[in-house]
Amino acid sequence: MSDDSGLWLLAAGPVGATALYWMLYRYYRNTDKSHAFEHETTVEAKPVTGSDSKVDTVIGTQETRIGGDNVHAYRARVKRVDQ
Amino acid sequence: MSDPKVPPPLPAASVSGPGSPRDVPPLPGQFPIDPATLPEPIRDELQAPDPVALDTAAAELKDGLNRCPKCGSTDVRLKLGSDVLVCQYCRHEWHGERVEEAFGLGVGIDQLRGTVIASGARDIDAGAASLMSFKCTGCGAEVTVNTESTMTARCHWCRHVFGVNEQVANGAVPDAVLPFHIKKEDAVARIRQFVDKRRMFALKAFKEQFTPENVVGVYLPYMIVDSNVSASVAGKGEIKTREYTRGTGDKKKTYYDADVYRVERQVDFTVDDLTLESSADRGNLDTRVNTNNIINTILPFDTKNALKWNASYLLGFSSEKRNLDVEKMRPRLEDQLLSIARAQVENSVRRYDRGVRWEQEQLDVHGSRWVSMYLPVWLYSYHQPGRDGGMLHYIAVNGRTGETMGSVPVQQWKLLLAALATGSIIETLVLWFLVVAS
Repeated sequence: MSDDSGLWLLAAGPVGATALYWMLYRYYRNTDKSHAFEHETTVEAKPVTGSDSKVDTVIGTQETRIGGDNVHAYRARVKRVDQ
Repeated sequence: MSDPKVPPPLPAASVSGPGSPRDVPPLPGQFPIDPATLPEPIRDELQAPDPVALDTAAAELKDGLNRCPKCGSTDVRLKLGSDVLVCQYCRHEWHGERVEEAFGLGVGIDQLRGTVIASGARDIDAGAASLMSFKCTGCGAEVTVNTESTMTARCHWCRHVFGVNEQVANGAVPDAVLPFHIKKEDAVARIRQFVDKRRMFALKAFKEQFTPENVVGVYLPYMIVDSNVSASVAGKGEIKTREYTRGTGDKKKTYYDADVYRVERQVDFTVDDLTLESSADRGNLDTRVNTNNIINTILPFDTKNALKWNASYLLGFSSEKRNLDVEKMRPRLEDQLLSIARAQVENSVRRYDRGVRWEQEQLDVHGSRWVSMYLPVWLYSYHQPGRDGGMLHYIAVNGRTGETMGSVPVQQWKLLLAALATGSIIETLVLWFLVVAS
């Protein structure tokens, strides 16, 4: 075992303590809950249309996801444009 | 040039004739010229529908007395657990009319154009008083109802029951009401069960003062909105083309190659019965200062079963007044519609395995229909003292579905101690492991 991985393991204590604190706090206070209107409302949608065009390539990045990925963050508003 | 201080001269004779205030006004909806003879743009404007397209007012209840259709008694209340009104005098039971069918709310959403506002959702007149007084038709006494918190009152003299049924412009009378189905005992049991699962780290004072029997049945004001929408989003998406590692041992790192695409998506959709809080306080879901998100979480309600307004449903319950107009709520509606649009297009961008970064979004609301409604909530509250007035913790039970959510105040030192203890145990195990391994 190297020194590098040993130092990394030392963080487990503080990380575990923080994770437990937030888990219990949320379980009691439920501050992260709200009405999931995106899925609990009756929505009738026509088929989605659109276009995809290749504009660039990325070579040799260490990131596993695109920067600023918000595909699942429905409620994070981005720049609003008028028609 | 005339002197600006001198008012213009009065006409020689009193103004009379066509178009003057002395003229007999035309009947409502009438127009002096036949619109068919006018140019098309003017005709379209004249013949466009008036803002109040749905009149949900009940003329038969205007005097404030909800009478039993059989015996005429005013002592009418909700039979809990059903949508039936029951006369306390002759036990006659009858069912209210559902607004969904009465006003055709479930149909034609894809044909909606412009803003359709039901009469109970009209703008609130700031001058309209929240105190309303009735003259009792039974004995002539004056009966006052404070619409801030209640919608019914009993005449002290002859025991007649009054309800506010007239759609006054103070926001207190909605178009429809969804009566309570969940009984108080049931709500108490649900709250007790919710809290029993959260006792170990709960605030000591909360546990000592916990009396779920004090739960209050409240009708809270909501706007139920149908809309017909087109939305589009644009951004960048990445697809992984290669994954490889460089270096050896500790220096080994994983690298990725990817193609970047410009992604655009459009979707047309209709939303049926989106539920928005129409009270400014309740609509504020900032969890740092309040726990209104708890009440928001117990949505949705079965709003399809809402009944035409009749104050008798509220007998024995309290209510909160609506204080937001349609225009004030429009930004929140658009925000939620954009969120729905983003959820709708999610499936169409699955092939972008490195994710999508949406950069622009556009929304076009073709039409929306607004109906105001009172929805039933059992509320238990606990005030935790603290800075800035402390925090009001709610435990809420949906009065129809029984869905329960709550905020239980925590004993901070206990929670911190538990976290530190757990952290220390993990740390000790890690240190032991490192010592053994080295």
